[in-house]
Amino acid sequence: MHDLAERLTEELQSKTSFTIDLFGSRIPVSESVVVTWGIMVFLMVLTLVFVRNLKLVPGKPQVVVEFLVGFINNFFTDILGEHGKRYIPYLGTVLIYLGVANVVGLFGIRPPTKDLSVTVGLAIMSIILVEYSGIHQHGVKGYIKNFAHPMPVMVPFNILELFIRPLSLSMRLFGNIFGGFVVMEMIRMVVPILIPLPLGFYFDIFDGLLQAYVFCFLTSLFMQEKLEA
Amino acid sequence: MSALIAIGAGIAVLTGVGAGIGIGIATARATESIARQPEAKSDINKALILGCALAEATAIYGLVIAFLIIFVLSK
Repeated sequence: MHDLAERLTEELQSKTSFTIDLFGSRIPVSESVVVTWGIMVFLMVLTLVFVRNLKLVPGKPQVVVEFLVGFINNFFTDILGEHGKRYIPYLGTVLIYLGVANVVGLFGIRPPTKDLSVTVGLAIMSIILVEYSGIHQHGVKGYIKNFAHPMPVMVPFNILELFIRPLSLSMRLFGNIFGGFVVMEMIRMVVPILIPLPLGFYFDIFDGLLQAYVFCFLTSLFMQEKLEA
Repeated sequence: MSALIAIGAGIAVLTGVGAGIGIGIATARATESIARQPEAKSDINKALILGCALAEATAIYGLVIAFLIIFVLSK
């Protein structure tokens, strides 16, 4: 039991893969960053392979790619409407990245979203984009006016929301992935074979993809609220 | 001391009860409404997933607090 607690504490801290020596100062590069680089290379290669020589009459791989792109476009256009079309590439990128990052645990790699820094970074990027979309749509004056949107009493709550939204976004993603990871570790310790397989499908694939979906869904909902208000 | 830490973490995870009840009620209503109006399925599904994600957040907070209790206090 004590052994388990120690291992879990070890897992909670993000590991440093290597350090870069830059002009005498040492920059630690954590494991999640390296895995993210790997995912970036993987996705880049996929894009290069599948987007080369597209044809008017699509072949089989092109149909799949077109279906995926169409799905992402439709999904976000439904929520954001016409004004939000310019934010779809970012949201789609985050969706694909999170989808791959959460499922990567299935191949024995530690998912980068298990690192709290990664999810907090993504959530901060999301909230900055959400607020930016509000400013872009209504101008600075209209954006500040919108803090008193339904009625002036709501001002403190609307300001609080600025901090609560990224907090809950990042904690939801981190908690789900880390929780799933811990449960899987425990099960592997008790029963190393056969039982972890179906549970792995739930925790790694279903939960991972669902959380990627939820993250982008919530970001786009917040954005739609800012665009409309 | 470690027994108290374990009890504290266990109490923190009790937040899962609320999330379970909430998601259960939401899913029950969603299936009812899909049965009543199958053509609104995609809208209902979207609202259901949003509601589940928000309801689940409380359970996740409890889990994170439990982890913090175990890892920070047991050092």
